Amino acid sequence: MKKGFIVILLVLAASVSLFAQGTKEAVATEGQLEHVDLLLNWTIAADHAPFYVALKNGWYKDAGIDLNIIIGQGSGYSVTMIDAGKADIAIADAPVVFKYHEDGADAKIIGTIFDKHPNAMYFYNDTGIKKPQDIVGKTVAVPATDGHKVMWPAFAAMIGVPADSVEFINIDSTAKVSALVSRNADVVFELLTGYPNFAAATDPSTFSYFLWADYGFQCYAHSYITSSKTIAERPEMLKKFLDVTYRAWEYCMNNPEDAIKILAEYQPINITDLVASLKIEQSFIMTDRFKEHGIGYIDPAGIQATYDLVNTYQTELHYDVNEIYDDSFLPEKPYTNF
Amino acid sequence: MKESINKKPNAFVKFFDKYQTVISILLFFLVWELAVRIFHVSEAFLCTPSSALKHLLFKQPDADYHWKINITCTLYEFLLGFLATAAGGILLSVILVWSKTVQKIVMPLFVFLNSMPIVAITPLLIIWLGYGLHTNIFVAFLASFFPMVINTMAGLNSIDHDLLDLVDYLNASKFQVFWKIRLPNALPYIFSGLKICSTLSVMGVIVGELIASDKGLGYVIANSQKTMDTPPMFASLIMMSLLGWAMYFVVCVLERVCMPWKFVRQKK
Amino acid sequence: MINENKFLKKVRIFFSKYGLTLLAVVVLIVIWQLAVDLLHIKKYVLPSPKLVFESLFGPKAYENHWWKHIGTTVTEVLGSFILTIVLGVLLAVFISWNKWLNRLLMPVIVLFNSIPKIALAPLFLLWFGYGVWPNIWISFMVAFFPVVINTATGLMSVDDDLLDLVNYLDASKAQVFMKIRIPNSLPYVFSAVKMSITMCIVGSIVGEFVASKSGIGFLLRDAQARIDMPTMFACLLVLAVLGMVCFGLLSLCEHLILPWKSNRLEVEA
Repeated sequence: MKKGFIVILLVLAASVSLFAQGTKEAVATEGQLEHVDLLLNWTIAADHAPFYVALKNGWYKDAGIDLNIIIGQGSGYSVTMIDAGKADIAIADAPVVFKYHEDGADAKIIGTIFDKHPNAMYFYNDTGIKKPQDIVGKTVAVPATDGHKVMWPAFAAMIGVPADSVEFINIDSTAKVSALVSRNADVVFELLTGYPNFAAATDPSTFSYFLWADYGFQCYAHSYITSSKTIAERPEMLKKFLDVTYRAWEYCMNNPEDAIKILAEYQPINITDLVASLKIEQSFIMTDRFKEHGIGYIDPAGIQATYDLVNTYQTELHYDVNEIYDDSFLPEKPYTNF
Repeated sequence: MKESINKKPNAFVKFFDKYQTVISILLFFLVWELAVRIFHVSEAFLCTPSSALKHLLFKQPDADYHWKINITCTLYEFLLGFLATAAGGILLSVILVWSKTVQKIVMPLFVFLNSMPIVAITPLLIIWLGYGLHTNIFVAFLASFFPMVINTMAGLNSIDHDLLDLVDYLNASKFQVFWKIRLPNALPYIFSGLKICSTLSVMGVIVGELIASDKGLGYVIANSQKTMDTPPMFASLIMMSLLGWAMYFVVCVLERVCMPWKFVRQKK
Repeated sequence: MINENKFLKKVRIFFSKYGLTLLAVVVLIVIWQLAVDLLHIKKYVLPSPKLVFESLFGPKAYENHWWKHIGTTVTEVLGSFILTIVLGVLLAVFISWNKWLNRLLMPVIVLFNSIPKIALAPLFLLWFGYGVWPNIWISFMVAFFPVVINTATGLMSVDDDLLDLVNYLDASKAQVFMKIRIPNSLPYVFSAVKMSITMCIVGSIVGEFVASKSGIGFLLRDAQARIDMPTMFACLLVLAVLGMVCFGLLSLCEHLILPWKSNRLEVEA
């Protein structure tokens, strides 16, 4: 028994020192930098590359920001966490923000990411779908918490089909590719930026996609959001964050391969697929509007279009459209060099 | 079995028995490898173990899985989770056996908690506890504490009644009975519980990391799932099982140290 | 008169056994409701018991289609339960009968047992598809391994002295099996059966998380998407109650079939 006790004491001592070392590491990184919790929309994708480019080059540190990146669980989760004050800045799909603001969530858009919405629907060519309206009666696989599912009624109304004319299958958010490849569903909703994942898993000539934006779904997409509390208390931090981030975006647009290589140094991502994804994103960011006003520009007309879309097809909105965004934190010198 | 009395086991059987686990696992990997190759299964559907090992040991051109960082992270969470379960489980059992009232109140709640799938509770835990290592450790604790408590309680309760009567006759205090009789008697059950915990804790850590984490083997799995990249998925799962086995082995060694008397009888 | 006394006696025994627990549960619910009201906890952090109750039984509860979802999950649980018991116990019997099977298969089964099946979610969708039958198979895969391990361990851990005695009496292997091992191991089998129902519930939820059109797991994810915490809580409650009801029913069966069994043998969970 005595020997046993000694062993147990040793084990306890080892565990305490392990724990202490863990907490020490956590404290060491704080220092004099301002801590910022950034909540992503999902797991790491190509549109998160700018953060790591900026981290690698120390741009956030130069601006006095200690950035902590948190993996997300969907736009709805992002809005909830911002509202709850559990994250300082988050990424969320704009229509979702509009909808939850109606329900009382305190979240505002301070900068955009994509200038065009990348929502898309993928299907095998042999399902006979030739136009979006052919989706009637098909089975659609989409995660329950996905922005596509939230905005489906709006898109359905836009293309003129009843929202309940399709059969939805709830899948795990990681199962989009396998849902299509296994032919367990006729259609899978996924962003166009996810195209390389599908192309890598199956022969690209056997499937096609429709981009919602090509069929009238004109609204803002992924955006950086924050709460009015953070806006009131830390406006300087927001300005610095957006300035560094959009500078990194400009770099990513001009050097997609380098950007993904830097991302790969931090995350276990597939380099080829994400480079392809980032190149697809170029068409959503290198638009005329951004070229003129800078990456991340919030066009009041675009906000109004999103507001009208949600209001007409999704949920009735009763707040003033100017409540939902604040563009005073965008970079003073817009990044247009792409 | 009957064979042990009259037949002397031959050398091959002895060798197999000694390394039973390793040999049968290697055989299983061999069958897996051959099956995938013979049936020309595509890698997105199921990869070969050799492909998984290649992704684990050699640098891949297409992705850097940062194995060292991720394995260390999972190991760290696993060790702390396992220790928390061991210490917490034993403590809880002691409290529950000491006071029958507390047991009546708390046990049904534990059974209730145990009936809920961990995958379903984890999203709620993330909302309440936030995001990070401590949440994963708590998930590991939740996943493995119940068998630990059940086993330890069974051990603490399973005393020979005659022995209890004797000690009672000698006017032993409740504390003395506990410390000198119940606890040593419960050691075999505690170790049995620890062995079960070793696999359950690592499972809990992986589930926690799958759902929201940016480091660890579970995270590598989550990332690879998106692109149907099966080799790192299976490499992580193999690594994870190894961790569980290693802890099981450590518990066995500890068992021998703490209860040397149990192993004398083994040589039949 | 005598029947009345017997009934009252049973009620008294029930309350003496579970009264304290029931009281604790009621107190817990009251504390929960008070905490939410007094500390103004937001609905999506911790919903009050009242909201959870409303989600289950309130006027708008029909929107959740509870019976449809419970029905799907119960079907999956029953299906996988039957599969697990039949195939699991059968395999456990073979493993404990034949030493070579034990040597070859047990480590592999333990290996499979230690892998969280949710990690293979997209592969399951690829391999099995979705729907009630595939979910039954996924649930079976979750529950099968622990049941085999527990039953086989129980079957193999018969008292050595008893075995020696019977060997001395020149019993054949079959006789040993039928007259000693099986009756002796029934308690372990029942333990494993009780454990497997919990695992089958967990497994069917895992299956529904992978891909589903209905079921409690489906509803859980749906509620999570709508940030409908009361419904999420209600789903967990339903799952736990389902688990406890099944566990209780099986304990009742066990009591009827094995009245001599003491609770001492519930070692492995």
